[in-house]
Amino acid sequence: MIARTNRIALLAVPGLVFLAVIYALPLALLLFKSIQSANGLTLASYVDFFADEFNRVVLWRTLRVALLTTLLALVIAYPTAFAMARAKGIWLTIFLIALVLPMSLGVIVKAFAWSILFRSNGFLNTTLQSLGITDEPVRMLFTETALIIGAANVFLPFMVLPIYAVIRQLHSSLPEAASSLGATPWFRFTRVTLPLTLPGVVAGSAFTFSLAISMYVIPSLIVGERQQTLSMLIARSFLYLRNESLGSTISAVLLVIAIFVVLFSSWLAGRLGARQ
Amino acid sequence: MFDKSTDSTPRERHYLDVAGVAKSFKGTAVMDQMHFRVAKGELVSLLGPSGCGKTTLLRIIAGLLDADTGNIVLDGRDVSSLPAHKRNISVVFQNYALFPHLTVAENVGFGLRARGMSTANVIEPVQEALALVRMDNFADRPVSALSGGQQQRVAVARALAVSPDLLLLDEPFSALDRKLRETMQIELKSLLRSRNITAIFVTHDQDEAMGVSDRIAVMNAGKIEQFADPSTLYARPASPFVMDFVGLSTRLAGRVTAQKDGIATVETTSGPLLAQCDFAAGTAVQIGVRPELITPTPSPEMNQITVQLDDVMTLGSKTVLHAAATSDTQFLCELSGIRNDFARGQTVTWGWNVEDTLIHAVPS
Repeated sequence: MIARTNRIALLAVPGLVFLAVIYALPLALLLFKSIQSANGLTLASYVDFFADEFNRVVLWRTLRVALLTTLLALVIAYPTAFAMARAKGIWLTIFLIALVLPMSLGVIVKAFAWSILFRSNGFLNTTLQSLGITDEPVRMLFTETALIIGAANVFLPFMVLPIYAVIRQLHSSLPEAASSLGATPWFRFTRVTLPLTLPGVVAGSAFTFSLAISMYVIPSLIVGERQQTLSMLIARSFLYLRNESLGSTISAVLLVIAIFVVLFSSWLAGRLGARQ
Repeated sequence: MFDKSTDSTPRERHYLDVAGVAKSFKGTAVMDQMHFRVAKGELVSLLGPSGCGKTTLLRIIAGLLDADTGNIVLDGRDVSSLPAHKRNISVVFQNYALFPHLTVAENVGFGLRARGMSTANVIEPVQEALALVRMDNFADRPVSALSGGQQQRVAVARALAVSPDLLLLDEPFSALDRKLRETMQIELKSLLRSRNITAIFVTHDQDEAMGVSDRIAVMNAGKIEQFADPSTLYARPASPFVMDFVGLSTRLAGRVTAQKDGIATVETTSGPLLAQCDFAAGTAVQIGVRPELITPTPSPEMNQITVQLDDVMTLGSKTVLHAAATSDTQFLCELSGIRNDFARGQTVTWGWNVEDTLIHAVPS
């Protein structure tokens, strides 16, 4: 006789098997490749990876882009989530559609649409020049800034939705109680609203950062080969260089960062949640 | 009764002066020309069914909702245009609204910190406030670890810690079970009295309103129907609504057939009854009588009715008799103690004093 809770736990089995076969096993094999050499197991490929300045530049750029993307998405998403949480009926529907519909469009369509807007003879540059604000076209595509703006746009829903969910749960009497106790809007926001919505911020940031650190399609389309990211290095190693060892090594580096983000954010969310 | 003609009342009656407040939501007026005054140190209840506007009035006074028109003057200070955080009016919310991410002490100290006091300086007043509600041993607990009654105490301590000019309480006892509710009412009332705090309770529970307040404003459809002390409200309700909402009563519809020296004869389905009033013959009225004022052994000068007993409910401290007259009207009679001299199906004659008859004119 299996206890009732244990029987319910059995429902997780299909998901776990799926994860093990499709995710964990191939990944383990891949990581094994990174430490495998003709003379047995070695960490030489890692030493080589970090010794190369180009790799360090790419790693640093990947981290920087992911961080800035997360920050930009957060700055845009936080007030949006507030407006959504207060919206009702048709307005809420409009907000949700506006948020989710672009996800179905696909990054490639967006990227080409952006290029029409941002390229040297694109709409924005022609407008700037005809207004006399600049004489020469400003380079907008193929820059890190463009990448960050584009990535933040694509990942915005992953930031908005967790924050929205948390704000929605926030009972309106809490900020009201703060006001009636004499808290200025700023004091109320920093001492009540913000701390209580931080779990949503942590979850949204973890999602966005994880997506941004491993993004491949967006940088390929927006910045191309000029400014590589770790994912592009991985693809290049496997597809062009046929260097499985290097590709696996970079994959491992990326995985370690992702694991760190997940652990850190769950720890942070747990800490914030425990106080509530 | 509550219009500007009461301006001659003494100054201390004007501690809180709500004058001509009106509010509409999406074009529907929920409150019109509200006039409402409270004296310093008075405990007042806004009593009424849900949707009567009592919470709206409370929120307008607190500054959590903007009135369309009207003024709110507190202790000679016009607070109408001030935001909530500048009014110095504390609110105890129905769900207590304790900050879940803060400890008990941090919750209580919140208002003082918001006023710019340092962490070190709030320790003492916080301890004092917690001692008032006997929660000083819980200072470092997270609020989620508290029971309902404890949470309410903390909410009260938090509201009082800032020495508010006015305390507003929105259904503060509704989340507590019956026994605890009564204990907390007594406790809170004596605390507010001892500190001479002016407080307004919002409630839909008439027992609670009668128990905690000096005066009760009975509200209906955005208006105050009567604002009086509990005994007046019960003994002399100003309208059928107040009579109905405050306490139990038996009601009879009728019409005045004769009027002589302030005594009207009213023809009802249960026969002619007498009532003290000035209504002229022909006026459509509603007669009411409180169950405990009915006696099963009437004397000849009383109003009398003949009824058949439907049910005898023995409740220990009192016995409640339900009876029907020849018509559909239900009569209630409350007798103290346990009574074994009544049985279902008996036909009895009940009576009550003419001056205990409540009478109101109603639209015919």
